[in-house]
Amino acid sequence: MRRFYLIALLAFLGPASGQPGPVYITPELQRLIQAGGQNYANVLLRQAPDQALCSIHRNRLPPEVLGSFIEEQRRLIKYPEGGRLMGDWKRGEAIYNTLARGNCFSCHVGSPLNIGGNVGPSLEKYGQRGTSEAVQRYTYEVIYNPWAYFPCTVMYRFGHGGLLKPEEIADVVAYLLDPSSDFNTKPALKR
Amino acid sequence: MGRFWRLLAALALALGALGASAQEEDDPVKEAEKQKKQLLEQSGGILPSDLYVQQGEELFKAKRGPKQASLEACDFGRGPGRLEGVVGRLPRYFFDTRRVEDLDSRIRTCMIRLQGFRPEEIRRSEVVAIAFYIASLSNEQTMYVRPLMPQEKKLYELGEKLFYLRAGPRDMGCASCHVTYVGRRAGVLPYSDLLGDKRVASHWPAFRYSNDQAWTMADRIRACYANLGMPAPDFYSEPIIALTLFMNAQARGARMDLPGFIR
Ligand code: HEC
Ligand code: HEC
Repeated sequence: MRRFYLIALLAFLGPASGQPGPVYITPELQRLIQAGGQNYANVLLRQAPDQALCSIHRNRLPPEVLGSFIEEQRRLIKYPEGGRLMGDWKRGEAIYNTLARGNCFSCHVGSPLNIGGNVGPSLEKYGQRGTSEAVQRYTYEVIYNPWAYFPCTVMYRFGHGGLLKPEEIADVVAYLLDPSSDFNTKPALKR
Repeated sequence: MGRFWRLLAALALALGALGASAQEEDDPVKEAEKQKKQLLEQSGGILPSDLYVQQGEELFKAKRGPKQASLEACDFGRGPGRLEGVVGRLPRYFFDTRRVEDLDSRIRTCMIRLQGFRPEEIRRSEVVAIAFYIASLSNEQTMYVRPLMPQEKKLYELGEKLFYLRAGPRDMGCASCHVTYVGRRAGVLPYSDLLGDKRVASHWPAFRYSNDQAWTMADRIRACYANLGMPAPDFYSEPIIALTLFMNAQARGARMDLPGFIR
């Protein structure tokens, strides 16, 4: 069975119909997905090559693909016009604490407004890391595209996935880093 | 129907009083057990799922549809009319439809074939009630889904692939929560261990007491898609059956707790 998969996989690697990269969805899997209905199929069948790679390796990339994967993910990051990585923490607060926007509180402890979850690491008093250019850049990039740092992680690629605009991500960065932000001056809510 | 309404009234009172208990258990299974016990005490021994079971039994035995037939001749895998333990063997391949079917889709098949309903006439709420009734007859029996037929093996493999598939604007995939982050919480409930904890697949269909909802596995799967802003696969569709087959096979050997009672 292993062998079969390997051969099938190799057959799909490389340029297929002008779109290079690995393909996870075999014709059989495609037929199954189509049986789930038009809307379902429309989203699943549009799987991107990086998503395919995470699927193939069940979210744990082997060393031989890791380097190029991370490089590619870094290339996908776009920055706000004007280059300011810290925006308005008040606007960032709303994004961070809204389920249908950032939903950050669901996975991270740190917000003084919502009880945090523990899927991701605690961000409590994140601002203690300072506001150096390097810290701002890291924070912005992790939110824009966590796969550039944590390949295949469950955290959404907010910028790349089109969930938040670069300026909105800068607002969230400010919420996390600005020393006067409630995130850093008020106690985090925990369960 | 008299008994039904009496049960309903008793339950409405009991459910209202639920959740008032002091300290919530950290383990959701223990917490559900506690809530169940409390509810049983307050309602005089009935659970909300009993209502669905009773409703389902009535629907199952009534002569209905254009053919004015009951569902008693429906074959869930052990032969027409034999219902004990069938849930623990589903999904499985059926020769008459030449498809692998789960509990929901098999009920639908029989409503179409035996009773003559058109697919668009089939009400989801009726299928769920009937599923609860059939599930009640598998309670405490053993989960024994084992893909042996080529069609079952094929669908199992596809279900496994679907389980690991990442797609959509949030890079959604079952495994990224239910394998990588088992036990972690992004809300009240921890991500359950779908591959390691045999209890998980063996308590569906289930009554969710915090939402007052009766759900089959199909509803559960669709909700996990919807929670991540994804369109869900249609009811009775193959992706749902494939995922269910994959998950149910992981629970082989578990003692079924049916209908489930969960948060
Ligand atoms: C679905 C859960 C989830 C959501 C939603 C989520 N994250 Fe994360 N986040 C994680 C996980 C998991 C990690 C750790 C990565 C890993 O180990 O795979 C992480 C890592 C991080 C890190 C790096 C932590 C460090 O110590 O360097 C930051 C910063 C972060 N997230 C911020 C956010 C912000 C801001 C949001 C909302 C815009 C957010 N996250 C939404 C799960 C989530
Ligand atoms: C973002 C994380 C996430 C993803 C992705 C996800 N689920 Fe879930 N799932 C949950 C949570 C949280 C629950 C807990 C139940 C609740 O909140 O009611 C759950 C519950 C379940 C249960 C019931 C578990 C039990 O203990 O009875 C099943 C079965 C399930 N999910 C299947 C799936 C399948 C199949 C997929 C992929 C199509 C999937 N899930 C994707 C978060 C997720």
